[in-house]
Amino acid sequence: MPRNSHRAPSVGKPARVITTGFALLIFPITIFALPIFAFTILGQVAVNGFLLAAGDVASARVPSLVAWTPETIATASSGDAFRGMLRARECEHCHGAEGFSPMASTPNLVGMDKLALWKQLEDFRSRKRISRVMNPVAESLSARDSADLAAYYSAMPVFSDLQDNRSFPQSVPDSKHASLASHLISFGDGDRGIPPCQACHGPVAYRPGAPSLMSQNSDYVLNQLEGFAKGSRSNDINMPMRTIAGLLSEDERQALAAFYGAGLGLQSGNSK
Amino acid sequence: MNWRELRTFFLTVLALCLIPATRFYQLDVPLWKFFGAAHKVDPLALHLSGEFVESNLGAEQNSDGSVTVRMVAEQYLFIPHCIVVPAGVPVHLRITSADAVHSLVFSGAGYDIKALPGTISERQLHFAQPGDYKTKCNEFCGAGHYAMRSELKVVPRDQFPILRNGERGICAAQ
Repeated sequence: MPRNSHRAPSVGKPARVITTGFALLIFPITIFALPIFAFTILGQVAVNGFLLAAGDVASARVPSLVAWTPETIATASSGDAFRGMLRARECEHCHGAEGFSPMASTPNLVGMDKLALWKQLEDFRSRKRISRVMNPVAESLSARDSADLAAYYSAMPVFSDLQDNRSFPQSVPDSKHASLASHLISFGDGDRGIPPCQACHGPVAYRPGAPSLMSQNSDYVLNQLEGFAKGSRSNDINMPMRTIAGLLSEDERQALAAFYGAGLGLQSGNSK
Repeated sequence: MNWRELRTFFLTVLALCLIPATRFYQLDVPLWKFFGAAHKVDPLALHLSGEFVESNLGAEQNSDGSVTVRMVAEQYLFIPHCIVVPAGVPVHLRITSADAVHSLVFSGAGYDIKALPGTISERQLHFAQPGDYKTKCNEFCGAGHYAMRSELKVVPRDQFPILRNGERGICAAQ
């Protein structure tokens, strides 16, 4: 074999037997399995196309007109904080000059996420969230005003001098309720399928549009949890809060509201 | 290029084909739907229109007696949280994700369905006996992944309510 004279000595017959045997083994498997593979995919695609055409909805309940597309996020976060400050003079009466409300049932707006604040104003405007006070106020604002206000309140310092007439922080709950709330905030309840609050409301992670609860009033948090549980508030996209608030017991809702209202939200990871 | 080199090349190609060809059942079938435009949904706008609006989620009775279940997986919940289906009839499950990749696993039933943002995963389920199935997410999806669980109640066929148009089989949260 002059062709192979420059190579290492050929192994000869045993190697040829192995390659031929290998080919004989894999040829049938490959030849038979590939059509099955192809038909599996084609079948799935065909079945899904048929089912998709069948399931279309005529009348749908829409929780909120906001969808977190890149354009929406750009609109909501492109506000001018200075314009927002001028516009915020109307908000001061209820929400406080420093963003801390004098009443525990009215939300503090200080340190709120831009997207969260913008979405609530949009929902008040489109009456997806109902409030006697806020619906007319939001209707007087343009989309740009909402973004400006969101920029202003999100830039406010959370730790400011205690000058304003504010109700935050409220009294600290007793240790039993504090540890109950702390556990729910840090770990949730896996057996009941309740995710930890801090996975979306911070400080661990923030879902787009989820407000920070680090400096929120207890009565307001409790009212919202009960509203979600009863369905009187239903502007959460894909129903996370209606589901979770419905799974929580009355006691747990009160414990969570009191814990956040006492300003302990940032310390939730320490116990247990 | 001699025959020996060519043969080695073909054998290598065939050997590589062997891997997907024998493991086709392990592939995430929904991934292939990215190529088919008909199966695309906008994960950011599920709540606005289309099949996965919130009033359309849950178990829906079909005219042939089978049941279609529509679910949305999101961080860190399966929506609806508790679904009722009848035993002994085919259950067409259709699930999509609103954010990350999730996977719906039924404890004790052996079903594992990937939920991917932008596509609809479809699976035919069959529950012969009534019972409560706990479901959980089997794909790490974020900080609350371990608490992402839900429930599927399989009731005897005669106890399953007759769902009229617009009604969905959803059990009350406990």
